This record gives sequence, C-alpha cells and structure tokens, in this order.
Amino acid sequence: MERVLTHLALILAAVICAAPFFYVIAASLKDQGSLFHYPPVWVQIPPYTGNYERLLFDSGFPRWMLNTLFVASTVTGLKLVLDSMAGYALAKLEFTGKRVIFVLMLTLLMVPFAALLIPLWSIAHNLHITNTYLALILPPLANPLGVFLMRQFILGLPKDLENAARLEGVSEFGIYWRIILPLVKPGLVVLAVIIFTDQFMSFIWPLVATTRDDLLVLTVGVAGLRAKGGVNFGLWSAAAVMSLVPIAVFFFALQRQFLARSMAGALKQ
Amino acid sequence: MSTNLSLATSINTAPQAAGTIAASSRHRLSPEEHRRLARQRRLRRELTGWAFLVPMFVFFVVFLLAPVILVFWWSTQEGSLTTGTEFVGLDNFRRLPRQIDAPIAIRNTLRFTLMSIPVTLIIALGVAMLLARVGRGGSVYRFLVYFPALVPGVVAGLIWIFLTSVDFGLFNTALRSVGVDPVVWLGPKSALQVLAALDVWRSVGFWAIFFLAAIIGLPRELYQAAELDGANGWQRFHRLTLPLLRRVILFAVVVATIFGLQVFDTALILTEGGPGTATLTVVYRIWTYIFGSTDKVGYGAAMSVALLVAILILTVIQLRLLRGQRGED
Repeated sequence: MERVLTHLALILAAVICAAPFFYVIAASLKDQGSLFHYPPVWVQIPPYTGNYERLLFDSGFPRWMLNTLFVASTVTGLKLVLDSMAGYALAKLEFTGKRVIFVLMLTLLMVPFAALLIPLWSIAHNLHITNTYLALILPPLANPLGVFLMRQFILGLPKDLENAARLEGVSEFGIYWRIILPLVKPGLVVLAVIIFTDQFMSFIWPLVATTRDDLLVLTVGVAGLRAKGGVNFGLWSAAAVMSLVPIAVFFFALQRQFLARSMAGALKQ
Repeated sequence: MSTNLSLATSINTAPQAAGTIAASSRHRLSPEEHRRLARQRRLRRELTGWAFLVPMFVFFVVFLLAPVILVFWWSTQEGSLTTGTEFVGLDNFRRLPRQIDAPIAIRNTLRFTLMSIPVTLIIALGVAMLLARVGRGGSVYRFLVYFPALVPGVVAGLIWIFLTSVDFGLFNTALRSVGVDPVVWLGPKSALQVLAALDVWRSVGFWAIFFLAAIIGLPRELYQAAELDGANGWQRFHRLTLPLLRRVILFAVVVATIFGLQVFDTALILTEGGPGTATLTVVYRIWTYIFGSTDKVGYGAAMSVALLVAILILTVIQLRLLRGQRGED
C-alpha cells in the first residue's frame, strides 16, 4: 500500500514537471486557428509545420544554435584542460601562495556574472573583444568550480603512482597527462557536463557581450523573439522545443553524469 | 599540516637525490653544493606548481578577481560605460534609496527569494525521500523531475507565458474544465508569485537529486534500529532524517539563496519586470541602469556592490558550514 502511494506521489510530481513540455510540443504543431480556438484543440491533425519552418528558415535560430554549441563546446574543452591542470597543482604540487590562491578561489566561487557586468563589459571593451566569439569564450574560463572538482578527484589518487613515475624519470607534464588524467576520467565527464549545461543556459553575459545578429547565442536570440515579434505562441513553442532537443538528447545519453551535477554538491559534504 | 607535506615532498625527492649522489660515485657534497642543489630543486618545484596553475589563474584574475575589485571603483563613479565618468565618492550609495525603483527591485527580489526557496526545498526533500524509497525503479521519475532544471530561463519564461495565457493557456483551460473561473495569472498582484512558482518548477528537480544523494549516504543501521524500536515513518523522519540532514539542508538554503538573488532572465521574459514594477528584480534594475540610460552606471555599480557583498556574506556562511562538517569527521 505504501508502495502504491509512493508511486502515485511520484507520478504526480513527474506529471507536473513534464506536462508543460507536452503542452508546448503540441502547441508547436498548431496553426493560429487551432491555438486560439475555443473549445481548445488538444492536438491538431494534420500537424502544422509552419512554426518550425518559420523558426528554421526565417529567423536567426540556426545561427543562434550554432553559436551556442560552438561556444559551449569550446569553453568545455578549454576548461577541462585548464581546470584539471590547476586542480592537479592545488592537489599534488607544492608552491608558495598555494593556500592563499586556494582561499581566494573559494571565496569568489559563487560570485555571479550579474554583479560584475559593469567591470566585465568595460574590460572586454578595452580588450576590443566585445562582439567577438572571444567575449563569449574567455570570461567563463575564470570560474573556479572546475578547479575544485578536479582537485577533489585528484586528491583521491594514491601518492605512490606519481612517486613511482618520478623515480622512472617521467616529466611532470607526463605524469599529469599520462597518469593523472586517465584516472580521473569520470570526474572529467561530470565536469564537462556541468560546464556545457552552464554555458548552454547562460544568458546575462552573452546578452551584453555580443549584440550583433550573427553572434547571438541561443538564449539571447530566443529572448529576442519575445521582445521583437509580439505574441506568437506557435513560434515560441517551436523555439522552446528546438532549444531543448540537444540538451534532452545529451541528458538521455548521459543521465548519470547529469544527475552527478547536483550530487557533486552533496558528495562534497 | 604544512610540515607534514614538506616532509612528504622531501621524502619524495630524496630517492632522486640519493640516485644523483650514488651516480657521482660516493662523492660527498660540500655544504654549498648541497644548498645549491636544494635551491635548484625547490625552484623547479615552485615553477612546476605555478606552470600548472597559471593558465587558469590568468583568466581567474582578469575576468573574476579584477572585476570584483573594479566594481567597487565603478560604484564611486557617475556617468556611463562608454562616454566616461567622474568621481562622486559615496554619493551613489547615499542617493540610491531615492532612485526610482531601486528599493522596489530589492524588495521584490527578497520577496521572491522568500517565496520560492522554502517551497522548493521542502518539496525537493519530499520528492527525494520518495525517490529513495523507490530506488532503482525510479529512473524515469528522476529523468522527468530533473528535466526542467536543464531548461534555460529564457525558454522556461516563454513556456510559462503560454501556460499562463488568460484565454489560451493550460492553467486556465484546466481551471475552466472543472468549472472554476479563469485567473489573470500575470496581474500586478500575482505576477511575482507566478515568477516564484516558475522557479519552484525549475529548481525542484535539481535539489531533489541533491537531497537524494545525501539521503542515500545516510547510515542504514540507524533506521533499522529505529524500526525495531517501533518508530513510525513520521518519527523516523522527524528524529533521524532531519537532524542528520541538517547541514545539507542549510547548505542548500544558502546556495539556493545565492542563486535566487540573481533572478533575471525569467523575470525579463515572463513579464519584462511588470506589470509596472511587480517583477522588477535587482539584476534587472542593474541591467537597465547600465544599458537603458546614459548616466546611471554609478547606481548600477552601487547595486552590484550590494549584491556582491550579500553573496560574499552568504558564501562565507556556506564555507563555515562546510568546514564545520569536515571538522566533525
């Protein structure tokens, strides 16, 4: 009996979370007539493809999606290298200032882009990178979350491995590249998922960093649909569906790593 | 702790030193040679450590540390981002409470946070316990419940504009089908609540998985003992689970608050800060100060400083919580 209740409650939660998506998928395939029809039309047969056609051929959507995928992948790739190197340094190497830097990064870990818009924009402007891909790629590299994650993973590796390698005369970089990295691969995957998702959803910095049409990212472009086009539920629904396709596919394929995104915080306890 | 580490590192490098010494056919090193070698080794160790750290650190300094310091400087300026500014000391802070909508933005943001976080975390905790009960079979539930957390705020806003549409949205259609009058969801009195509800919908999944991980880590023997002693479900929750999860819950409260204070993209898309100023938030106000006017950048910076300080304070609280936890281990 308790089992049944548990499942019922979970079904309710799942329905509340998922229902809006089904509603929106159905809406994306409706024309204006069905959308504004009373009594409501649940599913339009035959489905209307005009919304998607307009989205894919008439708006900047494909470009926005491309930009986001490009930026997210680049940031992820770069950060995997940068953060694992820095994490290795903080975990296993000794140098002056290590403790100060560690505390500094920890303190600024949660500082948001939102509070730093003014100086960030000013710095980007002075570096002449506003309205370039660099403006989208470089600032996110500053976030120290990845460093801590990597440090945590690398700390767990036994010291004997590196000792043995050093005795054999392997270079420091060799130790990092050929011994440490392969051993923390699961951590790298989790980090990649976290960074990619974060970049995919990022809005406020791209909003101010790039304003040229061909450099808009997905979130900013879709926001523009709301600002410029007036009410168009069909188009918005299509935009919502298409925006979620890549992330849904990734999520489905890498569920465990995605869920580790929030578990990473809990396990840190 | 540092002495142990340096001891360990010197033991680490000792084999190499021993090898070098052996290779020089038992040549005894003079004190100066010994010092020189030790210095070289230390130098190389320093350089190695820095070499690995520096690439990331450069970006950290340029795009995080420097802006944090600079925003304080900007808050003493008056003018705009592009046409130059002049120094006005702490005037921005003094004049801020009288600036249009700044106090409203702060009040809205605080009310939003107070509304959405307790609801989110309580529901998330409940869902997490249900998921823990179901175990392996719950992967479909986990997938569906977590999915809204992956939706960008902008997209979530679009979806909810549609859902809350008075005549054609899902909510009112559902209400009408059971004979209840349709509601104007995004009216001036209710828009902030709807915004909070949106946030709850988006965040519950994320925190539910977070709590689930913590719950799974709880020692099972305590629960078995409690059951043997005759404790029922509620007692087990109240006397065992809650106290054991206390630090995890506090951690979640602090982190969720830090995120909640930054609410912007959903407010922008759902209601554009309105109707009127009903959903105007701190970050929204900062953004309009910077890019919506030509001489208010100082006020934007002042609000940014306020937001930054609030988040730093919360971060310190969070770190204290973490350290306390680790201390107990």
